[in-house]
Amino acid sequence: MRFSFILASFVLGTALPLAAVDYEKDIRPILEERCLDCHGPDKQKSEFRVDQRAVMLIGGDSGLKGIVPGDPRKSHLLELVKTDDEDEIMPPKGDPLTKAQIALLEQWITEGAVVPGQMDAVVKVTSDLWSLKPVVRPAVPEQKGAKTPIDAFLLQKLTENKLAYNGAADARSLIRRAAVVLTGLEPTPERAAKFLADSKADTEAAYTALVDELLASPHFGERWAQHWLDVIRWAESNGSEANLYRKNAWIYRDYVIRAFNEDRPYDQFVRDQLAGDQTGNGEATGFLVAGPHVPAATVGREPTAIRQARADRMDEIMQTVGASMLGMTVGCARCHNHKFDPISIQDYYSLTAVFQGVEFGGRRPELSKDHPRVQRANELYPKLNQERKILRDGIGVWEEDNGGYTDMVFPNTTTQVLRIEFDRPSTFIDELEVFGTKDFKENLAAARAGTKLVEDPAMADPGAGVEKANDGEYGTMVWKSKAPAGSKSKPWVEIHFPQAHEVNRFRFSSNREYYFETDYLDNGNKGGKNNFPGYRILAQQADGSWQEIGSTQQARAALKKPALKAASERLHEHLMALSEEGPRHSFVARFEKPVVTHVLSRGSPENPVDEVMPAGFAILKGDLGLDSSAPDAERRKRFAEWLTQPEQPLTARVFVNRIWHHIFGAGIVPTTADFGKAGAPPSHPELLDYLSAEFVKPQDKGVKPWGIKDLIRRLVLTDAFKQSSAPRDDALHADANNALLWRYSPQRVEAEVIRDSVLQASGKLDPTLGGRSFRIHNEKKTYAQWQVIDNHGPETWRRMIYQERMRRVDDRIFTAFDFPDCGQVSPKRPVSTTPLQALNLMNSDFVVEQSEFIAQRAMKDTGNDVSASVKRCFQLLLTREPDADELAASVELAKANNLHLVCRSLINSNEFAFLP
Amino acid sequence: MNQAENISCKGRHLLDRRNFMRSTGMTFGALGFTQLLASEEKANFSGKTSLRPQIDPNNPYAPRKPHFPMPAKKVLVIYCPGAVSHVDTFDYKPALTKFHGQKPPGLPAVTFEGPSGNIAKPFWDFKPRGQTGKMVSDLLPNMAELVDDFSFFHALSTQTSAHPQGENFMNTGFTMEGFPSFGAWTTYALGSECSELPAFVAINDPRGMARSGKNNFGSGFLPAAFQGTDFTAKNPPSNLARPASYSANDDRSTIDLLKRLNSKHLEQFPGDANLAARVASYELAGQMQMSVPEIMDLAGEPESIHKEYGTDTGSDLKREYAKNCILARRLIEKGVRVVQLFNGSDPSGGNGITNWDSHSDIKDTHAMQAEIMDQPTAALIRDMKRRGLLEDTLIVWATEFGRMPFLQGNGTGRDHNPGAFTCFLAGAGVKKGFSYGESDEFGFKAALNETSVYDFNATILHLMGLDHERLTFYHNGLERRLTNVHGHVVKDVLA
Repeated sequence: MRFSFILASFVLGTALPLAAVDYEKDIRPILEERCLDCHGPDKQKSEFRVDQRAVMLIGGDSGLKGIVPGDPRKSHLLELVKTDDEDEIMPPKGDPLTKAQIALLEQWITEGAVVPGQMDAVVKVTSDLWSLKPVVRPAVPEQKGAKTPIDAFLLQKLTENKLAYNGAADARSLIRRAAVVLTGLEPTPERAAKFLADSKADTEAAYTALVDELLASPHFGERWAQHWLDVIRWAESNGSEANLYRKNAWIYRDYVIRAFNEDRPYDQFVRDQLAGDQTGNGEATGFLVAGPHVPAATVGREPTAIRQARADRMDEIMQTVGASMLGMTVGCARCHNHKFDPISIQDYYSLTAVFQGVEFGGRRPELSKDHPRVQRANELYPKLNQERKILRDGIGVWEEDNGGYTDMVFPNTTTQVLRIEFDRPSTFIDELEVFGTKDFKENLAAARAGTKLVEDPAMADPGAGVEKANDGEYGTMVWKSKAPAGSKSKPWVEIHFPQAHEVNRFRFSSNREYYFETDYLDNGNKGGKNNFPGYRILAQQADGSWQEIGSTQQARAALKKPALKAASERLHEHLMALSEEGPRHSFVARFEKPVVTHVLSRGSPENPVDEVMPAGFAILKGDLGLDSSAPDAERRKRFAEWLTQPEQPLTARVFVNRIWHHIFGAGIVPTTADFGKAGAPPSHPELLDYLSAEFVKPQDKGVKPWGIKDLIRRLVLTDAFKQSSAPRDDALHADANNALLWRYSPQRVEAEVIRDSVLQASGKLDPTLGGRSFRIHNEKKTYAQWQVIDNHGPETWRRMIYQERMRRVDDRIFTAFDFPDCGQVSPKRPVSTTPLQALNLMNSDFVVEQSEFIAQRAMKDTGNDVSASVKRCFQLLLTREPDADELAASVELAKANNLHLVCRSLINSNEFAFLP
Repeated sequence: MNQAENISCKGRHLLDRRNFMRSTGMTFGALGFTQLLASEEKANFSGKTSLRPQIDPNNPYAPRKPHFPMPAKKVLVIYCPGAVSHVDTFDYKPALTKFHGQKPPGLPAVTFEGPSGNIAKPFWDFKPRGQTGKMVSDLLPNMAELVDDFSFFHALSTQTSAHPQGENFMNTGFTMEGFPSFGAWTTYALGSECSELPAFVAINDPRGMARSGKNNFGSGFLPAAFQGTDFTAKNPPSNLARPASYSANDDRSTIDLLKRLNSKHLEQFPGDANLAARVASYELAGQMQMSVPEIMDLAGEPESIHKEYGTDTGSDLKREYAKNCILARRLIEKGVRVVQLFNGSDPSGGNGITNWDSHSDIKDTHAMQAEIMDQPTAALIRDMKRRGLLEDTLIVWATEFGRMPFLQGNGTGRDHNPGAFTCFLAGAGVKKGFSYGESDEFGFKAALNETSVYDFNATILHLMGLDHERLTFYHNGLERRLTNVHGHVVKDVLA
């Protein structure tokens, strides 16, 4: 970390503590003789110097305070001169300090570490890092021929370098480019034909209409959501050993798609993802737990390993927030001050304090009334109640199988004690609940409500007592009860409420944690089927006698009546729909009461040092006015507010640059997630600031602040975007990497574009938006690897963003196209070319089958005319007609072998894989 | 996309395979590095400047020069998931026999799986082996015969006692996921001497992948070109074979049309290296379709070889592993840069045990695993030596951590021991019959010349002629290295 010294007020009169040790006589000679060569005016190794008290106070690169006046135990300098660790000891060469010298230093610190004349000196952290300076809106340069302000900035730089734009791209290239960049799909032949015709009439109007249409397409959100998911390495599994599926994590993915499609302003997009529990978009906090984590079960039992795992999980959150929203490599300050940027180890841990209440796991997301999932639930509730009424009137007792837990509903009964008697000799339950008529959401059986459970002492299991069944904890800590061998008695449990309630619903499960948190395991937990034996529910009467109020026997007998059976079936259909489409427990982070956060010396959870408060970066005035008592929600909310203040220099710059990167193939700052000193500087700093200023406070009327679609629209309407990608010798010589944008950079399209465009060409693409990911993997054992079992069948014919994404699992086709493994953040995908890509695109079942479908479609569209169907295949895949030579060769292949081989060739062609 | 202005061949000429193989056009960019050059040589913590490999986009696998000349050109990594017990194999600790059944002072009450039990003597007897008289247990009688060729590291320690993190650390230099594997780094640096096979092959255990799965041989944030291609003697790489519904003529005709299409397209973008590279990748794929089945076909190997490796004796798993060993040798012979051979999988596979993770019944479970590994691995090393392959091939035998000198609460197994474990090197550039470092008298902690995983990896890279502080790749703000910001080359083991 670079800092500068501001040594203030040397005035006499500052009262010096009374000291027995004299700095000039006792301390200075030690420091000068043993330390000053490396830590003095000439050299400041580790950014530390002993001739400045103020520097000693804040410490060097380690981020640990060198001296803490009055507290030698907390003074890192003393630790280093006393250690016997060869790699750590100071001074590193020669004999260690003598015991007498150490004693003097210790006493000096105890007495206040007096350095005469320097007692008021302080170090002020400043930085000349460009990205931390305020965004200043530059004047748009006067530039001849520039149609938009963006073009003016670009052309100015080009002119300075004696370069100019290429001419305009041809209409076909332009529509392919615009369609793929904006929606990730090639244009259909029909739309392309219309655009070509419209362009002839009015180029400008045709293109503007096209852009508006593409921005309005629901596929726009699918395309841009993927870019965001890349950065934060979002996936649907934990990673690590078991790599378990994260149930319903995909609702976060749907949130991102929806946010882009509904053009949610970026500041709100940020707030939702940091604190969506407070904005009515609870599922957006899936952002916080996008990274991998090691679940408790595989961390082991050593307390040090458990603490380390928690610190690692916090670091994953730091990486997510740092790379995506801050554009700073925050993680570099985990063990010591950042080597390049003004981020201290205190900053890192202050930032972890913001997220101290976040844990990897699931919860039922908080959704606003107008959220599509809430609206869907509101459609379903009356339907559910309709069926329930039929069952209530027809029998009064019925079961509702919710997948991972089962409800039994019985007639309203007022009682203080319920008793459940089981039919089989053993049972195990992780949690049971009882609901009543007063508040249908309040669990009356919870221990915290004062309810006590009683079991048959003869069947008790000491490690699995009945209190486990109402402790509020789902999962493997269960109540077990087993009849002794030879006994005819059966397990039972009594539920003693603190006072009588009117109750009507009993709910229980065997492992609701597995049901809620994961899925697709072949261990009997598929959808969490309970397979409970029969049971009866009894209520204690005022006279102490028991009356049966419901039983499985009774409930199941009723289903023999066709009308009731039908009602039950419809009820379960609605329940299923509700759990699939309504609000439900999802892997989008769990919130807890935050513990006090400390700086961890050298990043080790075993060495907590100073307490830190939740805050943003100090250098960006990150004080949030919070202390360690602040509740979790408040921390995240205040941080989000800080991050989205209009004067925040990083937020807009980082996002605007990211959008630029995805549109032009490289960012104005090429290192899109590192705006620090180690990153690359902006190629067009004024342009970046112009765009950032316009993004936050647009001068154009009708453009909304932080509007993402407006920003994208601006960029794709520039001449820079519309120009041809053809190479030019002079320009190649001057700027081979096209940093100045003298042409549009041709680029290989991503895995998704290849796959989705093939499906679109074959007419098989199911355009359904959102929902559960399509499966390509097996159901596996807990500690096994996911296997790809079907990556090509009809169930997979949706856009690839909906493909089930297990961390570090190869999908055996498109992963080879630099699809990220979701282990580390991926602000930009590498583009590599490998023979495995060729093999996958030549020989995979997916390509073989889709080639056939495209051929079939072409034949059908053209009345089985070979020549016409070849032309149709070219249109469908390349958005153009074949030339005479191509047509002749393709017709020959189609006739001699088969038309689908022509499609196979086209899918593999460079033209299909590269955006012009 | 970037421009290959100095590629001489263009248009139709690009379709000539030999041109690709010969081409030495030095261009960056096809692999997405270029924009980052601005930050080059800034972010390397070591204070040394980065040495970026010069990747030819026409052929990312073209052989590249190491940082300095070393005998090793290729490397075979034999990786044993699950943690091999050092105190029952190569690290002889007489104190364990002396204190057998006792609870020694100072050892922890709780380890990875829970409460710990008493000290246990080795489950197999140790004997002096070879000229050097190195003490090795009877668990691995065949490998024991070869100790005169090995350099042991007895004072290795790691940062984790969990398997997946341990595998990650050993194979990628980080406990977390998503970092490039050793094989990817090496291939990125050196390319390959062999143009018709993948530069980096991972041979998984017959029971499946290890616990960290593809992370052990993935490319992380390096370009996908440098990831390991996984196949075994039994299972070819996915999508290698021509689809069953196509004839050979179908395939040829598809490719002819493809060439025509690409050649016409190239005319619009003359000299574009990325387009040319993609054409080249199809050529290489075509070669792999012939050469991979050829290399997997062990029928031509003499019976004596099958016998020596043990493809027809012992358990089914051993037979399959033995075939994988022969495959490994054939790949190295062909010049494949990195071969990573696994002896163990994740906990879901096969014969009741799946790897070396002997938490219970170590006497039986380690014996079952040793039966699979010992004879084939020994044969592989002996065979490579006989053929002179050890002259230019480095062998690494590694596992993620060791096992405890005492038993677990259950009294029959040993828990994970991150404090001390043993791995060995052999072959090109490595001292023969040597042991480096010592664990303490119980084999509980590294005692003398403690060697971190960073040091171990730095040493392996050094043996391949690579400076672990200069082999870097820019990712998300840092010049990343296999060894993070740590690691010292253990010079003592260099021949």
